[in-house]
Amino acid sequence: MRAYLTFELRRLVRDPRVMFFSVIGPVATYLIFSGWSAGDRLEGLAAPVAVMIGLAGYGAVAGVLMVGSAVSQERAAGWLHQLRVTPLPSGQVVAVKALIGSITAVPPVITVGIAASIQHHVELSAGRWLALLLLMWLGTVPFALLGLAIGYGLSPQIAVPVNFLTFLALSVLGGLLAPATYFPEALQHLAHALPTYRYAELGWRSAAGHLPAPAGLAVLAAWTVLFAAVAAWSYRRSTARR
Amino acid sequence: MNAVAVHLSGVTRRFGAVRAVDDLDLTVEAGTVVALLGPNGAGKTTTIAMMLGLVPADTGTVTLFGGPVSDAVRAGRVAAMLQDAGFVPGATVRDVVELARALYPHPLGTGSILATAGLEGLASRRVDRLSGGESQRARFAFALAGDPDLLVLDEPTTGMDVAARRQFWAAIRTYAADGHTVLFSTHQLHEADDVADRVVVLTAGRIVADGPPAEIRARAGVSTSDSLDAAFLALTTEMPATKAAETEH
Repeated sequence: MRAYLTFELRRLVRDPRVMFFSVIGPVATYLIFSGWSAGDRLEGLAAPVAVMIGLAGYGAVAGVLMVGSAVSQERAAGWLHQLRVTPLPSGQVVAVKALIGSITAVPPVITVGIAASIQHHVELSAGRWLALLLLMWLGTVPFALLGLAIGYGLSPQIAVPVNFLTFLALSVLGGLLAPATYFPEALQHLAHALPTYRYAELGWRSAAGHLPAPAGLAVLAAWTVLFAAVAAWSYRRSTARR
Repeated sequence: MNAVAVHLSGVTRRFGAVRAVDDLDLTVEAGTVVALLGPNGAGKTTTIAMMLGLVPADTGTVTLFGGPVSDAVRAGRVAAMLQDAGFVPGATVRDVVELARALYPHPLGTGSILATAGLEGLASRRVDRLSGGESQRARFAFALAGDPDLLVLDEPTTGMDVAARRQFWAAIRTYAADGHTVLFSTHQLHEADDVADRVVVLTAGRIVADGPPAEIRARAGVSTSDSLDAAFLALTTEMPATKAAETEH
């Protein structure tokens, strides 16, 4: 399993386009738009901090979903077939893909954090930064599973647009791009039920010095179970088909 | 060398109304080189897929080295070049070979794998930037890396030029001479003639001839000086007339 992990990490380093898009989008958005709301308080935080966490989550979710749904191309290329006739168990292939996906969450969190500390002098203690990074990484588990569900379930031609639309809907409606505080009430209720909002909430609460909210964890856990079930189902379906 | 590497007994696989493989019995002794011949749609790829556990058999049993296929795969005793298998972009030839070496318990040395597959000088080339023939050689390297007891090759020389083919079959001969078992499918009849100890001719999912190349010629009623092509045509066009009627509905 270590060999396969090394192999995938090398590929990721050699082809950093995934990283590039998941970093450049949120950083540019932050630099351009974070000034608008700078005086407000959002999610119990000064706006520059709240927007920083939202956009870091936006980049993280983008990267994680992209890696997951790229499995669709690997499947079409016959790579998963090739691996199935080696001693590497398929469960480990899936686990490595999920891990690689979640790792792509780290660069956007760090770079948006740097942008925020330069542009708006956002200051957090070293411990808070570390806790934030850790939570924003661990919180991507449901999205890694969602990406794999798309990647194993759909052909590449369909996986790419489905991945993009899912990402756009979840990140916009979940208040990652524009804060949910500015939404009409009905949309706010919707946001609170989405995994993206609850994922960013982990970051917002930790930056404010609070523990994760039980309601938020419950929502995240429910989505994680759902996405895991769909991923397992589409994985089984993809291996049974041929 | 009379241990059994591959054993298929009464194996049938249907795809919809088509019997891709029809009540097939096949035993491959360890240390032999067996060619699987047959026209398109004869069931060669499906047979190979069942041998590797990629496709379950509807009925019948498949064993490798006397045990379940999954055990042999997990133990690293089998490797394959599949028709529909490819590599992922972003990896180099060396990455792919090193991965295969790490996955198998007793791999060959990287240098010798690259030399045998004719990939010297291409080690740091990305697999998505290889030509058709080069990428086929990279797949050979991937299969060879683990020094498997059984090497299964589904139309391995597709896309290779003449020189690459020659080098490929020389490598296969050397590999088989060390007591390894090789099973390959091909449309290139002279390849079967030159390399295989035994030729199995499949038509409509059934074996229509099975024996050394010379015997196949004899059974088809063509003289020994005739090529295997003549024997192949004689065997696969006469026999399946009744089969075709059966599979139509």
